[in-house]
Amino acid sequence: MKDNPYLFWGLAIILMLSATALFAPLISPFDPSSIDSQGLLMAPCARHPLGTDGLGRDLLSRMIYGARISLSVGIIAVGISILLGLILGSCAGFYGRIADALIMRFADIMLCFPTFFLILAVIAVVEPSIYNIMIVIGLTSWMGPARLIRGEILSLKEREFIQAERALGASDARIIIRHLVPNAVGPVLVNATLGIAGAILLESSLSFLGLGVQPPVPSWGNILIESKSTLGIAWWITVFPGLAILITILGFNFIAEGLKKIIG
Amino acid sequence: MSPLLEVKGLKVDFHLENRIVHAVEGVDLQVRRNETVVLAGESGSGKTITTLALTRILPAPARIVAGQVLLEGRDMLALEEKKLYSIRGGVIAYIFQEPASFLNPVLTIGEQIVEAVIWHQRLGRQEAQDQGRELLRQVRIAEADRVFNSFPHQLSGGMNQRAFIAMALACKPSLLIADEPTTSLDVTIEAEILKLLTELKEKVGFSLLFITHNLAIARKISQRIYVMYRGRVVENGLTEDIFKDPKHFHTRELIAAYHKIGKL
Repeated sequence: MKDNPYLFWGLAIILMLSATALFAPLISPFDPSSIDSQGLLMAPCARHPLGTDGLGRDLLSRMIYGARISLSVGIIAVGISILLGLILGSCAGFYGRIADALIMRFADIMLCFPTFFLILAVIAVVEPSIYNIMIVIGLTSWMGPARLIRGEILSLKEREFIQAERALGASDARIIIRHLVPNAVGPVLVNATLGIAGAILLESSLSFLGLGVQPPVPSWGNILIESKSTLGIAWWITVFPGLAILITILGFNFIAEGLKKIIG
Repeated sequence: MSPLLEVKGLKVDFHLENRIVHAVEGVDLQVRRNETVVLAGESGSGKTITTLALTRILPAPARIVAGQVLLEGRDMLALEEKKLYSIRGGVIAYIFQEPASFLNPVLTIGEQIVEAVIWHQRLGRQEAQDQGRELLRQVRIAEADRVFNSFPHQLSGGMNQRAFIAMALACKPSLLIADEPTTSLDVTIEAEILKLLTELKEKVGFSLLFITHNLAIARKISQRIYVMYRGRVVENGLTEDIFKDPKHFHTRELIAAYHKIGKL
């Protein structure tokens, strides 16, 4: 830990955020949708450390609950994309030939679409709920992990211990799951942490455009969009969610950097 | 009694991009029960490819184009792939030249042995672990418990080779194919491994097909020798006869090489 400050600080930030999200009802001083009759757009003060928004809701409480949305969207979306990437990438890498050609050309086609607009198009058809957002982000971001895993498997499957496993009577599925994937998982882990940061950013952007998590459920992205109209008079509603996004992304990037060092 | 293994007219081609290389051109071979047979020859003479063809674990560009492989009367080349899983490791087991690279780097020795035991003997995890430790003791590893929980990179070459032998014996094979198992080890370890193999052969009871280009080893351990040269068996017979009266010039070369080293 001491000789890897990136990993230390990254984990510190993300663990703190996760704890905040997990214990949101215990930590947050107010209910995120309760309105304080004493005032709208209150600047940070003792009662509201981060101020209130245009409807008089406590910004700190809304951001604490927003952390739940942002982190879970990030983690689940990336979970889906990594799972898809693992399955498709390892099949492509292991079986080669036609399977490889089909899967990787499909990935290339998916990569040709600008992801953001692909997501916008899908959201226009399905209802923009938090679950749909997770699934859509996951389904449109598996190509990176798949390519990465395919590359790893391509070189790993030529290694001698794979031949030894085959000589011991292991089936294809067994070789892939038990011997290839665990050896390929290092770079994928780095990719995943970066992916989480990307997914959080994507959710914020979507929410900012009004196509993400729908109000009154607070997410960092839709707090930001609500701040747009009052930017001139209430800076805190813009600055604090923005900072939260920044710090989270930084945290995940630090972890990725730290992992990269460990894996070499 | 019919031999344990009988190979008739085996031919293996390598289908490369623009040409076909004949790696094995009609090999006939017999291994009887509890016999030690040496397959000798220079690098690239087709020794390894011949043995890999027996259980059909050849690398991708290689194809068996003709011949018969009879194992206890069953034609290995006609069997469907699924039936081969239990034969590989279960009836024919391999040990290889570079033990460290033939072991999976991310699993401990114990996990790998236990996996093989569970797979072939259908034992429970606890029983398999007990048997795994017992196997390590059987191959004369003093600190069986420590080695059991070690990763391959934490052990020496000789130790890894012993562990690999334990894994190969896990499934009680009738034929052990040893592909230059001592080439990467130093001379004292080499002698120990050879001694271990001959002892195990007596105790456990299996046939040994030993690949080497070192005829000194062949003379020490084998009853019969096959000499391969450019994809063909050019000479075969009882070990003593071959040393007394080598017919083919390649056999004479191999014997001369061994005498030359003796004089250095």
